[in-house]
Formats: sequence, C-alpha cells, structure tokens
Amino acid sequence: MNQPSMAEKKPALQAAKWITRPIMWLFLLITVLLTLFPILMTILGSLKTGAEMMSGGDLLPKEWQFRNYMEAWQQTNFARFTWNSVFLSVISTVGTLLVAAMAAYVVDRRDFPGKTLYVGVQASTMFISVGAIVLRPQFDLMVKLNLNSSLWGVILILISAHSSTFFILQGFYKSIPRELDEAAMVDGSGFIRTFFKIILPLLTPGLGVAGLFAFRHAWNEYILPLVFTMTSPHLQTLTVGLANLRYGSSAAMQIHLMMAGACLSILPMLVVYILANKTFIQVTAGSVKG
Amino acid sequence: MEKLKRLQENSLFLLPSVILTLVLGIYPLIWMLRYMFYDYVGYGEALFVGLDNFSRLFRDEQFWASVGNTFVFAGGKLLLTIPLSLLLAVLLNGKLRGRNLLRGIYFMPTVISTAVISVVFYNIFNSYNGMINQLLMKYHLIGQPIDWLGPKHAMLTVIIVAVWGAVGNYMLLFLAGLQSIPQDLYESAAIDGAHAGQRFWHITIPMLGPVMQMIIMLAIIASLKGYESIMVITEGGPIGKTEVMYLYLYKLLFPVSTGSPVTQQFGYGSAVGFATAIIVGAITAGYYFLSKRMNKVF
Repeated sequence: MNQPSMAEKKPALQAAKWITRPIMWLFLLITVLLTLFPILMTILGSLKTGAEMMSGGDLLPKEWQFRNYMEAWQQTNFARFTWNSVFLSVISTVGTLLVAAMAAYVVDRRDFPGKTLYVGVQASTMFISVGAIVLRPQFDLMVKLNLNSSLWGVILILISAHSSTFFILQGFYKSIPRELDEAAMVDGSGFIRTFFKIILPLLTPGLGVAGLFAFRHAWNEYILPLVFTMTSPHLQTLTVGLANLRYGSSAAMQIHLMMAGACLSILPMLVVYILANKTFIQVTAGSVKG
Repeated sequence: MEKLKRLQENSLFLLPSVILTLVLGIYPLIWMLRYMFYDYVGYGEALFVGLDNFSRLFRDEQFWASVGNTFVFAGGKLLLTIPLSLLLAVLLNGKLRGRNLLRGIYFMPTVISTAVISVVFYNIFNSYNGMINQLLMKYHLIGQPIDWLGPKHAMLTVIIVAVWGAVGNYMLLFLAGLQSIPQDLYESAAIDGAHAGQRFWHITIPMLGPVMQMIIMLAIIASLKGYESIMVITEGGPIGKTEVMYLYLYKLLFPVSTGSPVTQQFGYGSAVGFATAIIVGAITAGYYFLSKRMNKVF
C-alpha cells in the first residue's frame, strides 16, 4: 500500500519545516565550528610568530611561519619527544596485541580450571578506579627491576592494561571457525605453530581494530609517562614534553612553539583517524550494543 | 599425557597475561589496601596506625572540598554533555546530507590527546593574551578581558573543555542506540499525526531506555574519574577551586610534579585512594539501582 507522505497531507507541517530546518542547520554549523575551533587555532597558531600570538591580530597568520616547526624540532627537543612517543606507542601496541591475542585464543578455544575467574578479573580491571595510587607501587617496582631508566617500564605497564584489547579480540575469534584449528592439528601442526601460522593471519582485521585503540591510548597517555620521566627529561614523550612547556618560565614567549609541538602530536593521530574513521566509529558504537 | 600437554600449552599462552595482570594490576591494589593502615611517607619505616588515616580523612577539609568540586565538575559536564550529544545523535540519525562527515567531525576530539589539547585550551582561555578574549574584544563583544582561569570562572572553563572532548563519544553511543529502534514505529506514529516532539518523548526516549541507562552510567564514571585536563589547565587552582578528588590524590603521591602545598604521603594517600574508589563505586551503584527502578515505573 502506498501511503501519502506527511508533507502532502499536512501543509502546516511543511511550513514548519521551513522554520525548523534552518534552525537545525544553524545549530549544526555552530557545533561543528566549536568542535573544530581549538584544532584550527592550533594549526593556525603554529604558523604565526610569537609576537603575533601575544598581540592578537588576525585569525590567519600574516606570514606563514613554517620555520616554527624547525625551531620546535631543534630547540625544544621535539625530535626526541617524537621518537619516544613513536617507540612507546609502537612497542606497547604490538605487545598488547600479542599478550591479549594469545590469552583470548586459549579462552575462546579451550576449557581450563579458573577460566571464569580469569575472565572476571579481566572485566573488573576495567571498572575499578583507584586513580593514581597504582602508579606508586608500579613505579617503585620498576625502580627495583631497574626498568625506570628507559621507557620499558612504561611499556610494560601499558601492556598490563590489555583487558579491553582482550575482549575485542575474543569477539573476533568467534568468527574464525574451530574446524580450521582442528584440521591443522590433524595435519600434524602443533598448537603454537597453528596459532602463529594459521589463526593469527586470519585474525588480522581484529588485530587492526584493537591495535588502533591500543595505539591511540598509548600515543595520548600523559600521566603515566609523566610520572616515570620526571627525573629523566630525555625519555619524555610528546604529551609530557609539551605540557612541560606550558609550565616553563618562558611559556608566554613560546606559545607559537607550543602550538607547533601540539600539531606534531595531534596530526599523526588525525591522519590515522581520517584513514580509519569507519573503524573507530563502528567499534565505539558497538561497545553499547553488546 | 595428552591432558598434560594441553595444560602446558594453555599455561604458556596465558602466562604473559596472568603475570602482567597479577604484578601490575592486582599487586598495586593489595599495596594500597595494606598501606592505608600505615603511616608511610615513602622512605624510612612504615608505622602501623590502624584506622588513623581514615579518621584524618574525615577531618580533612581539603579532601572534602575536592569531593565537592568533583561533584560540581562531573555534574556540570554531564548536564551539558548528555543533552547535547543526544540532540546531535537524533539530528544525525535522520536523512541528512553530509551526515557521515558531520559524525566524523564531532567524533574527532576523541582521538586527540587530552593533555595536548588542554595545553592549547590553556592558551585559548588565558586571560591576558588568550585567543578567546582577543577575539571577543576585537568584535567588541566584551570590553574587559574575562578572567577565564580565575577563581570565578575556572570551573566553568574546565567543564567546557571536558564537554568538548566528550560530546562526540556519547553522540556516537546514542546513535548506536537510536539505530536499533525499528523505523516503522516512527512511520506509524507519523501517520497517526504525532509531531517530531511527541515522537521523541513517546518513542525515542522509552525505546532508548536500557541503552541510555548504560551510556549515562559510563558517562558518570568517566566524569568522576577525569582529572588530566584539569591538571594541565589549572593544576587544581586557583585557590583549590578546581581541585577534584583524583587530582588531590595524585598530589599526595607525586607532589613534585605540580605546585602543591602537600607533601608526599603514601599511607594517607592509600586511604584517600580507597575512599575515592568507594565514593565512585557507591555513586555508580546508586545510579544503577535507581535507574532500574525508574525503568520499572515507566
């Protein structure tokens, strides 16, 4: 049956649409501008001179100061910070994926005593929030293990928080048929070999998705590397180094460099986001659908 | 024999996860549960003091002020974030030109580091040469610069920053919930002559019920826990106006990082950490039971 549309039926409603539509678009436009405002200010600010930032001036830079990036890179150690961020994020993402993928594989395919307990503990670590308190014993432990003079201590702590990766990957394992493992085993492939040669390649989409989130977490992490690098500035990441500039004595004169540093930190994530925004959006949305 | 082999394989695959969880996840909790009964400043002897830390906690005005600030911060953030993100989700759930682009833009803040964008916001809201004041003055919207980070407005400023970072995330969660509402409900309501407002209150809200309950719970936990951006923008100041409880806790454990009047106290800090976890847990549980009951009424 073909229903007549609302608009044909009620001219009053159509008139109302002429009023509500522009209001809606105006609202959307304002919220979009507010969302983009700080990001645009960062990018534009990173291309202005220090004096221009201090005195106000126009939205656009008078002359585009691309050398701010050179200055930030050389003078304020941003080369070091960037390398530390890349190192920390890549290693901890790979580590998190490996640890979680192995655990989730056994949990999905096999039964063992204490399985419910293990899954329960993984789930509860996501809900207990005692704040910075855990950093203290973690820090002291790393000092004892002599892992505080490098970023490995931070990396281990980041990997230890692998419960959300574990649950994402567990979901992906369900879509890989069990017959595949069994067939491989019958052909004489051992457990470890089957996992690395057959299952892991099939898990690639899941690893990509979970890796994206692990990487975002590690790249943006602030308080953990801050605590671990207080006395060793050469280990600081982009987030820590940048926030330190804000506390520095010459902060007011360095706003343009701060903005250039902020861009160095934000832009790689934005590029990743633009390339993979479907994945970000689908997985985030999926977390409430259960 | 076969059984033993399977057990070995299982253990091998679970071992890294179990060890890391035990050593870096569980042990710190036990550490806290132990030292909250001790007087311990990080060096020297730890002295068992029973419940002294907790009686001190009840008398600690700075702590209770930070609890109050947490409620103001979390409440303000939720009151702005939830309606705004729900409204955006409803608008973007309709047939709209460019809605994928809009979703992408609104979600963008969630991929950006809170600490980094907080440095930017600090410069935006700075009262003397901040970009907001410069812009507002230029277009003669204000005569005097507004002291965004002063005692009067600092809380509002950190709430605005928090809302900026959160709206896109909750918009997306609401959108996921909206998409699970069957479309024909709206169609038949429209045929019956229900206008947009009626459809929203009588279909969208009730149908969204369980998902909304879950989203709000996540939002409550997140807003009580967040202190990273406050740490960067105001360091809890001025005069403690924006010091939330997790920031107060942080300063007890790592006082060297930010200008703070407290000295490091691991024993007392443990007690504060335990108390904050209990407060967050109680609020979450309270909300959970209340919203369950509300669900039954409607």
